[in-house]
Amino acid sequence: MRSLTDDEILESLRGEPAPLLPILHAFHDRDGYLSPEALKVISKGLRIPIADLYGTIDFYHHFSTGEGGHHQARVCTGPICCLKEGNQILEALRSQGATPMPCAGRCDDPVVVLKGNQALLGTSAENLQPRRSPLPPEAPTLEGFEECVFAHIRSPERSQFAGYRSTGGYNALEKACSQLSQEDLLSQVEASGLAGRGGAGFPTGSKWRAVFNAPGDPKSIVCNADEGEPGCFKDRALLDHDPHAVIEGMALAAYATGAERGFIYLRYEYPETYAILEQAINDAESNGFLGENILGKFNFKLYLRRGAGAYICGEEGSLLNSLEGKHPFPRNRPPFPVTHGFEDLPTVVNNVETLASVPPIVLKGADWYQCLGHDQNAGTKVISLSGDVNKPGNYEIPIGFPLMHLIQDWAGGTPSGKRVQAVTMAGLSGGFLAGEDLDVTLDEPCIRSKGSFLGAGGIMVFDETRDMVEIAHQAMEFFAEESCGKCFPCRIGTRRLSERLGGHAGPGELTQWLNEVEALGQTMKATSSCGLGIAAPLISDSLVKYFPEQVENHVKS
Amino acid sequence: MTPPTHLQNKQSDPDSKPQGQETLTLTLDGEEVTFFAGETIYEVAERHRKEVPTLCYDPRLEPFGACRLCVVELEGARNPVASCTTQAQPGMSIKTKTPAIEEHRKVLLEMVVSENDGIEVDPLRGYASQELSTLVDRYGADTGRFQGAQSGCSKFEDDNPFILRDYNKCISCYRCVRVCAEQEGDYAISIKGRGFETQITTEFDGLLKDSACTFCGQCVQTCPTGALADRKALRAEGQDGELQKTRTICTYCGVGCSVDLVTQEDRLVAVQPAMDGPANEGALCVKGQFAFDFVQNPDRLKKPLIRREDGELHEAEWEEALQRAADGFLKALDEHGRHSVYAIASGRAPSEAAYTLQKWIRSGFGTNYIDNCSRA
Repeated sequence: MRSLTDDEILESLRGEPAPLLPILHAFHDRDGYLSPEALKVISKGLRIPIADLYGTIDFYHHFSTGEGGHHQARVCTGPICCLKEGNQILEALRSQGATPMPCAGRCDDPVVVLKGNQALLGTSAENLQPRRSPLPPEAPTLEGFEECVFAHIRSPERSQFAGYRSTGGYNALEKACSQLSQEDLLSQVEASGLAGRGGAGFPTGSKWRAVFNAPGDPKSIVCNADEGEPGCFKDRALLDHDPHAVIEGMALAAYATGAERGFIYLRYEYPETYAILEQAINDAESNGFLGENILGKFNFKLYLRRGAGAYICGEEGSLLNSLEGKHPFPRNRPPFPVTHGFEDLPTVVNNVETLASVPPIVLKGADWYQCLGHDQNAGTKVISLSGDVNKPGNYEIPIGFPLMHLIQDWAGGTPSGKRVQAVTMAGLSGGFLAGEDLDVTLDEPCIRSKGSFLGAGGIMVFDETRDMVEIAHQAMEFFAEESCGKCFPCRIGTRRLSERLGGHAGPGELTQWLNEVEALGQTMKATSSCGLGIAAPLISDSLVKYFPEQVENHVKS
Repeated sequence: MTPPTHLQNKQSDPDSKPQGQETLTLTLDGEEVTFFAGETIYEVAERHRKEVPTLCYDPRLEPFGACRLCVVELEGARNPVASCTTQAQPGMSIKTKTPAIEEHRKVLLEMVVSENDGIEVDPLRGYASQELSTLVDRYGADTGRFQGAQSGCSKFEDDNPFILRDYNKCISCYRCVRVCAEQEGDYAISIKGRGFETQITTEFDGLLKDSACTFCGQCVQTCPTGALADRKALRAEGQDGELQKTRTICTYCGVGCSVDLVTQEDRLVAVQPAMDGPANEGALCVKGQFAFDFVQNPDRLKKPLIRREDGELHEAEWEEALQRAADGFLKALDEHGRHSVYAIASGRAPSEAAYTLQKWIRSGFGTNYIDNCSRA
């Protein structure tokens, strides 16, 4: 196939909203890197100052500016792949130009290596193969818990349009358009108690209503699929195996709020998911569930956008700036996206899991969803469980479910039955829980009472053989590398904490070491402008709290 | 030389208010104060002389919220809020200087100091260059705490004659990038990389002269650490004599930019823009900022020159020179008529001189063929 010319790429995408990322990817894919000539053409075509464009592409991990860079291997050296063969594979491939990349969201698989637009998996450099991402393991049926977003995900062909339709797909949208007013739909989502499943936990119905009420058109629905938190891989499972559920959730959000355009912002590291979503959006559009005059009621055009490797773009302000082609710094809040979102217009930004929860709520009712939770908690949560467990994977649990029950009974405990030394919460952002604090239930009030938070639901398990200081150092190094560089406490604090945890700098005397680490953490938590800098010190705080002896040995050595 | 006034210290009266705006109230450090819709907490606090510290703030630029030094306690908020980016709202209760807030500010300053190779810089570097060291002194920040890697990477190889790019002293406040975009509209510099590795860059990391930079020098003058420095001024670094500033108007064109001429004894060593100049608000162009060497150039003409019969220029007295010029004008008038004369006043001449020139041409020659180079 003939490759597109510069002008053809620009002309095909320039008219769309949020054109910069797809144009950059088109050149990156075509040329194997972003050449200076390409950047000059794009700068001129989109009227972005060349210095800004040059600086901004450098912000992203995966855009290469060296010839052939796009096809050079990037090996996952996230916390879980480091426990496996990540570092060995990296060393084996280094002579071919391989570089490390942060957690690529396949912690329930062997080590992942990206080459161009292909994800390869294996246990050594010799056996890397493409493979579909695993389905969520079956929850024990005896316990009688009902799933919400995973209820149909294991049905064959569910990821295809026909398979989705035959298992009740798009019935919720049809029901909404034929029986529910916008107000009915908003009320139902509010009554369900559904709250943001990306970690912030903001009530979804309230968010939608705020956008419905906000002046300004066109409004937008943004699906945040930039799942960058290490140890989180639930969005990938949902999008790979049930993409239409997310699309239907977005269409329902559009109907409820009056939004006319939508974006799925997908992280770079999921190239196969991109292809699945592209197909799903086309199928939904050709079957009348997206596009013009959907079910005779509304218009909603959905665009797929691919990130380029930046953890911070999972923060909604950064994500919106990234979509708009700006430098992906977080935005100052307020104003919030519900009034000043994409292009400063009212915008819903929802996580994948949140959106996938909406169709079942519309079909089965708010009360049904409410009652899925344990005790007083509303609904379910997908937990991405990885690390030292026999059956890593995504588990949809009733909110309020006991952590150790999940680890020991659902996931089969640790390999060879070793003691669980610690787990992380919210991927890495919640820091560690250990000792008696492992006896928690998985709901925000309980986890927060321990000084942590559930967040997006990534939990990594470390058995008693693991060096917790080293794991904390890797975690802090991740935050330091992913800190956007805008606010001082995070930009400097993550680097200083990482140096202290890695033993590269800092006092050699324990009291002073603890004093510095605590002071850095306190100021980061109090003054950082977004969640990254606020959460990062939970790693060092919880390390000091649960593992004082390991810390003391580390400082002394 | 007195330490440069902090940029945002506008000498305004706390009770003055923009006309026609509704007056609202909030509680500031226990005292009920008035404010106007649209003001940020920082602006209200400044008007009431709270001396909230900042490093990334420049009143001419959009609030950015990077340095976090301006955080204040807001009743009901879980964390302190950045006062520069938070709009004041009626009924807010704000504390600008609690022990906890002051401790965070000190720690933040200690963090910033730790990323650089030193904070003491010559005031000749630029208008705002003392901001960091002044704050470090004010807070008694420990300059030896939080040691570790250093962040910026100087580009001494950029050998342009005007702007020193000493990024070893950069604290990534991005005032330079923002002033270039928001005030000058050049978009010549931007932000590369992320986190601690962030660097100020040009397109393809090249030299300023190969970028869209117009060498207006605004980045230099807003830099709070002297990481960007006035190379011309630094020629006087280490020389004897106290620095003095004299406020005047730039003579290059008709805009009327206010400048402070920085002198050392009888030498002009630098020009700094006046941040409160009504026409320029701290802006200058490359000429107003850097082109002042002619003042003390030994080649300057001190006497009129007349070209004699030998074809060479010779020094002469004013009377003879003026007579020679008058003769030439009269000859042109006689031989070719009144429209043979066309006068262009220099933009560097004052208004009175421009007036005199047009008067002379109009009434002396009877033509309206006049112009002024500032018109372009």
